[in-house]
Amino acid sequence: MIKIRRNRLYAVLFIVSSSAVAVGLVLIALNQNINLFYSPSELLESGPLKNKSIRIGGLVEKGSLNRVSDSLEVNFIITDLKEKVAVKYSGILPDLFKEDAGVVATGYYDKNNNSFQAFEILAKHDENYEPKEVVNALEGK
Amino acid sequence: MIPEIGNFFLIASFSVATFIFCLATFSYYFEREILDLSTLIYFKFGFVFLSFLALEVSFLFDDFSVLYVASNSNPFLPNYYKISALWGGHEGSMLLFILILSLWIILFALFSKYQSARDKNYLYGFTSLIFMSFSGFTIFTSNPFERLLPVPPLNGTDLNPLLQDFAFTIHPPMLYLGYAGLVIPFAIALGRCIGVKDAWSSRIKKWTTLSWSFLTLGIALGSWWAYYELGWGGWWFWDPVENSSLVPWLIATALIHSAIVTDKRNIFVNWTILLAVLAVIGSFIGMFLVRSGILTSVHTFALDPERGLILLIITLLISIYSFYLFFRADTVPKETTDYTFYSKEFFLLINNALLLILAAVILFGTIYPIIYDIFTGGKSITVGAPYFNLTSVPIAFFIAFFQGYGILTSWGNSKKQKNYYLLLLGIVFLLTFLFTYTLFSYPDIFSFASYLMFAAIISGLVIYIFKNLNNKNLVVNNLGMVTAHFGIAIMILGIGVVSSFSQNKEVIIGKGEFTNLSNYKVKLIEEGKEEFSNYFSEVVQFEVENNVTQKKILLKPEKSFYPASNNVMTESDIYIRPKEDLYISLSEKLESGKWIAKIQIKPFVRLIWIGALIMMIGGFLAVFRRIKYE
Repeated sequence: MIKIRRNRLYAVLFIVSSSAVAVGLVLIALNQNINLFYSPSELLESGPLKNKSIRIGGLVEKGSLNRVSDSLEVNFIITDLKEKVAVKYSGILPDLFKEDAGVVATGYYDKNNNSFQAFEILAKHDENYEPKEVVNALEGK
Repeated sequence: MIPEIGNFFLIASFSVATFIFCLATFSYYFEREILDLSTLIYFKFGFVFLSFLALEVSFLFDDFSVLYVASNSNPFLPNYYKISALWGGHEGSMLLFILILSLWIILFALFSKYQSARDKNYLYGFTSLIFMSFSGFTIFTSNPFERLLPVPPLNGTDLNPLLQDFAFTIHPPMLYLGYAGLVIPFAIALGRCIGVKDAWSSRIKKWTTLSWSFLTLGIALGSWWAYYELGWGGWWFWDPVENSSLVPWLIATALIHSAIVTDKRNIFVNWTILLAVLAVIGSFIGMFLVRSGILTSVHTFALDPERGLILLIITLLISIYSFYLFFRADTVPKETTDYTFYSKEFFLLINNALLLILAAVILFGTIYPIIYDIFTGGKSITVGAPYFNLTSVPIAFFIAFFQGYGILTSWGNSKKQKNYYLLLLGIVFLLTFLFTYTLFSYPDIFSFASYLMFAAIISGLVIYIFKNLNNKNLVVNNLGMVTAHFGIAIMILGIGVVSSFSQNKEVIIGKGEFTNLSNYKVKLIEEGKEEFSNYFSEVVQFEVENNVTQKKILLKPEKSFYPASNNVMTESDIYIRPKEDLYISLSEKLESGKWIAKIQIKPFVRLIWIGALIMMIGGFLAVFRRIKYE
């Protein structure tokens, strides 16, 4: 019987210690890898810390999209119909990215000149679908 | 008329399932003998099948008075895709799911022989409970036969072009074969709780292994589909949809191993029952996350929060019911066997604990945005892929090491064989260095970890085979296990190499221009337009020259436009070589007439899916070999 109990103890010790390690890993990973979402109005109200990646979303303002000639660099403005943020991005744009349509950009915000350096751009992935957060941002939630 | 017949049979199958569940419950509580319910099981399958056929017929004859057909098909869609369009949306895929579920139940009825018909009736009762929940859910909240009357549209809105693809036609059926199959071990486990002991643990082992094999294939097909069809060469996104298939897969993997111990040594009984229940609940939670719209995802269905709520309630009720049966049952066996620290039992216990921790960590990362939303009052976040990499790689690393050594231990006590441990470690390091220095000269931490994991599993298998050379029957009997473990090793190697050594280049390229990436010279030589029955596309021809072999081939990536749904698709083209894939996708045409294109090199990416295929074969071998021997 003692043997069985000792085995149980080993098992419990192993499970507890590996769970503890896993929880530690989760906490470290969460600390570094969650991206908060802001609408342009929220950004101006309470801008996030510099050097922390965030996501912003809204509509691509009509007439704001322009490409630095023959390069991958694009500039456009994201708006929630109240406030605006200028976005810079260098890279491939999603297929359904266009003016006056919803967009979510991940990157870094610079409060001084209200600009956003994006490293990832997501657009809606079919005609009938708007990102939930964009809808909320436009409704001012 | 045909949709009404389909609807009628769908309702009939729901009624039959309800009847079976009530009858089985009645027979248990009042201890009455009832008739053999097998006949009803066949009827139920027949009804669902007729209902499924009715919907297929509506698709083939373009009956746009049916809402579901109108929103997922189009007269110009090729017939082949009209058939698979049935599972292109939420409602139809639910119908496919319950068809496959009833198929599993008749397979169980046909191939599992029980001594007492009453015992088997109870298990039919449990399977029917699940069937009843989901056919009811389909009928009341997501009926695919709903009509658009009196004025049906002339045209359908077309199947999402991403889904007009071969891998998609078989991916959902395979995945559902995996999910639905887990219902059989679930029923057997609940049966054990109410005293049906007839070879229960070996049955759980077999049925779980079988559905696990399909689940493995289903997940791999999804990854393969994403790789070439989403257009940008990603094979795993840590997307909620993918995670919610991975979590049940991990639980099912733990269940197989735990059932092996229960079967051999009559210990871990409660644990096996609990895992069988968790596997099913896990896949339901996944279904809830995917179909409720609570999490946004790259590949997903039309979403509806109300349906999500009902799915959540179904999941909760089934959990409460299962745990009620589990806690009132007296399942701990009177005679238990003893085991020590260096035994197979202990290593399988470690494997189970780590697999479940891994599943929990992934599930937590997936639902963390919901938790955050609730506790901060509507603030929205996403959990990025780095979270999942950072947490899952270390856990998987330990699993691989325990796996490598674990198969060398024996039941009860294996203290004598401690020297294998050193041998294993030696071989691991040797293999790792060989790999690192012959394949690539600069290892980073992820690839290095994957080589170590690969080497640990492979060396464990090699020693296992050598150790048992004089005992060939043992190896032949465990061929399935050896194959499946070999498969995961191959997959890990592929993941490590492709994650560390992929190269890519985003270029602006005009006609006649070229660019270099690694050993390839890529030149744009021709542009053209093509028209098809339901879409048209711009095709760009690239000439790819391998600088080493001087071999030239043509790649033709496309940009397609689907007028019916107003959708754009990036159709990549891939030069497949044994060592690597060269992957070209088109972005957009600039005003100057030049194209933006992305060129990628993906070394050994195919090992990921080949590994999954080997694992699946291993699973099948394990099931069918054992059936022969017993």
